[in-house]
Amino acid sequence: MLFKMIRGVLFHQRGKMLLIAFTIALGASLATGMLNVMMDVGDKVNQELKTYGANITVKPKDSSLLSDIYNLEEGEEELNASYLEESDLGKLKTIFWAFNIVDFTPFLDTNVTLPDGSAAKLVGTWFNHHLSLPTGEELDAGVVGMRSWWDVTEGKWLDENDGNVLDEIMVGTALAQQQGWKPGERVTLSASQGSREVEIAGIYDAGGDEDSQIFAVLDLVQELTGREDKVASIEVSAITTPDNDLARRAAKNPQALSSRDYETWYCTAYVSAICYQIQEAIPNCVASAIRQVAESEGTILEKTQLLMILITALSLVGSALGISNLVTASVMERAQEIGLLKAIGAKDRSITGVIIVEILITALIGGVIGYFMGFGFAQLIGHSVFGSAVEMKLKVIPIVAALIALVTMAGSLPAIRTVLRLRPAEVLHGGH
Amino acid sequence: MSKRKMFLRMITASLLRRRSRMLIALLSIAIGATILSGLVTIYYDVPRQMGAQFRSYGANMILLAKEGESLTTDTLQDALRAIPEDQLVGATPYRYVRLDMTSRQQSFTTAGTDFAEVQKTSPYFSVEGEYPQAEKEILLGKEIADTIGAKVGSYIQLTWRPVVTIHENASDDWVPNARLSGSAEGFNAGIVVVEASLDDEGKIASLEIDASSQTPEIGGQVETDRNFISRFIGQTLPVTLGEDVDAVSGATISSQAVVDALNNARSTEKGGAAAERSDYFNVTGILVTGGEEESYIYMNLEDLEGLTNDKLLDVAELSVSANAEQLEEYARAIDGSDAGITARLVKRVTRSETAVLGKLQALVFLVTVVVLLLTMICVSTTMMAVVSERRREIGLRKALGAPDSSIRAEFLGEGMFLGGLGGLLGGLLGFVFAQVVSVNVFGSSITFQPLLLPITLLISMMIAAVSCLLPIKRAVAIDPALVLKGE
Repeated sequence: MLFKMIRGVLFHQRGKMLLIAFTIALGASLATGMLNVMMDVGDKVNQELKTYGANITVKPKDSSLLSDIYNLEEGEEELNASYLEESDLGKLKTIFWAFNIVDFTPFLDTNVTLPDGSAAKLVGTWFNHHLSLPTGEELDAGVVGMRSWWDVTEGKWLDENDGNVLDEIMVGTALAQQQGWKPGERVTLSASQGSREVEIAGIYDAGGDEDSQIFAVLDLVQELTGREDKVASIEVSAITTPDNDLARRAAKNPQALSSRDYETWYCTAYVSAICYQIQEAIPNCVASAIRQVAESEGTILEKTQLLMILITALSLVGSALGISNLVTASVMERAQEIGLLKAIGAKDRSITGVIIVEILITALIGGVIGYFMGFGFAQLIGHSVFGSAVEMKLKVIPIVAALIALVTMAGSLPAIRTVLRLRPAEVLHGGH
Repeated sequence: MSKRKMFLRMITASLLRRRSRMLIALLSIAIGATILSGLVTIYYDVPRQMGAQFRSYGANMILLAKEGESLTTDTLQDALRAIPEDQLVGATPYRYVRLDMTSRQQSFTTAGTDFAEVQKTSPYFSVEGEYPQAEKEILLGKEIADTIGAKVGSYIQLTWRPVVTIHENASDDWVPNARLSGSAEGFNAGIVVVEASLDDEGKIASLEIDASSQTPEIGGQVETDRNFISRFIGQTLPVTLGEDVDAVSGATISSQAVVDALNNARSTEKGGAAAERSDYFNVTGILVTGGEEESYIYMNLEDLEGLTNDKLLDVAELSVSANAEQLEEYARAIDGSDAGITARLVKRVTRSETAVLGKLQALVFLVTVVVLLLTMICVSTTMMAVVSERRREIGLRKALGAPDSSIRAEFLGEGMFLGGLGGLLGGLLGFVFAQVVSVNVFGSSITFQPLLLPITLLISMMIAAVSCLLPIKRAVAIDPALVLKGE
């Protein structure tokens, strides 16, 4: 009998039920979309913040202030300077948080003498260095990604897939202007262990100190300085979790943590934990967080997430109220029918049961449709804002399901109770 | 039951029942309006609020002296006038010199600055200990602290030695305001010594001659002969005897020696030991940044000026809460002013900020659009449900002889009244919501958009009207008999 009644309602009052299902679908899609976007916005914005460049620098352990303190410009190499091994760089992608390391690039610099006798700083680095890792992962790492704010004003970026990249350099605007260099020109650079004639491939505007430097591939600088396989520092760009108290304590001394805290810290992508793991992976190095980038990332991420949480809360409340409102309205509308049922002797409990089941079935249909619609909205936002898909979070499903169940119940039960309280005769009468 | 009684009962029941429906309709419109006005307010305020957060990346503009000009606290203040006060987060002056650490025989780059401004322009500086507050207190970069083993509370002696430049030619020393000293051989191999000072234009302002080695009655006269000495004042070096000045009669050799000594004169301020200044400083904090700042010493600008005895600045870092276009405009204004200062944008910061901020704004925009769209549809479905429920009433009125147009007008008017009321309620609630968000997320209050209230009102009324129209139209079109019968 129950099924018959419910079927009857679902089919005969199709129009009304469709309206309810539609509204629930809208509410559900709003909730799904917003929750998905909210949960993913941290990762997405973090990804965007990578345009600020590295947040971790890796240096050799013994690299002291030597060259800084004594203001050495030439012959600094002789002062037992220490270096990292280029071949160790791949190890960066073997640490626990390897997946969070987005980009990295090594640096090795030296002073070179230009044709006119003046000196300039030549920086060797990776541009779009292709790495095939033992894990089977492939990636392109280098300054092309790490210096996203550079404008190549003339010429082009160096391309490491190009055969003669060893004979090419990029020059900063300030230096190029001072020397009157243009792309395509050939110049000879002399360093401690030899000289080489190279072609200027591009001129960049970095808006800083780098404008008076020369950039070339790492191999070229290693050759000119006789430092096979050596790098002086590494810049790493990693996606990190904003620091909290634990991370700040750990940054001072990880050993001082309790083993449980240590584990939590080690297994969270705090910048200090990633630094610590880099130091474990690469021998004789010190990895430190660049606070200007790391700290600010934390602030902005937190604010963005909080903003999205509040907007999501508003839309959840909005859709909840919207749905329960409509459900209330639809129950009130059926006062007559309820009165009739009561008049022919139906118990309050069974009436309530019938109506609730009807509404829940409608809600289920609406909710499922709404979930997929909402997922579509999330993708729309993800693609148009960040250019990448929003990850499908499974925990959104129970949240949305619970929300809708709760909201429809909250919307219908008080209404049913009110209608039931009326005397059937009155209700039946009142409408006519 | 009499007809009259029946009618009265109908009306009261309908009114009573309708009150709750009215409330439902009002509530749903108010929700929609709240979301509309709340989200739109946030959308307009996000760039400003978020922009302020991005200032945690530090300076986005630096000021330097133009070539041949100098940057001082005064010219800096002049230049800052180009930037509106409420957009200027901070302006930090920096003077970099190398100071010798006496105990270590090492020299370190030392920055003289204003610590109150440093905390504004470089909020990412992390200080173990405290920022210096009193005189003679310094902040030590972590690398230096590690190298020299200094701790908070240590005292360090720092010494300033002027940079000595030795010119190849004496004439390079003859700059305005220079103090010069020179000597030359005079009569009988006696040495004549002169001391002179130059004025603003590089002309001789004063001259003292020591000719004690010369024969007092003859050559010695050059020391005292006022006529002779006064001829030098106002001359430009080098001077020629017989042209610029005439020799003291009978003492040609001594006079020539004075001229030669002047033409050989070198600056007396070439870094003598007396010029170096030294002082003890208390380390109040160790600076950790993860960048090159860790290898600097930071001290109060006044303390550094006390050592170097001048009032020059090398650079000023500015943190301006403005977008890239505005920044460029300010930079042009500063370049164009006559303060002798050029402004450069820190591209890494401005460029990235523009990119990320753009994305965030687009995000909030899209979210706003989607939420609004869905909410508005939600509102209209509820309105439709509420109105279509009254089909029976419409049928009744029609049966009683009311014309379609009057029914339509009445329902529309009612809907729009509800829309207006809900819109007003929601518009204010939305502002409250935006304010809560702003205070919680950004810690500052939001600017009220006065235009938003009438817009919310209008949109709410429109939605209410549109969603009433459809069900009324359908109800009016149907034969009243059918409607009243219930199907």
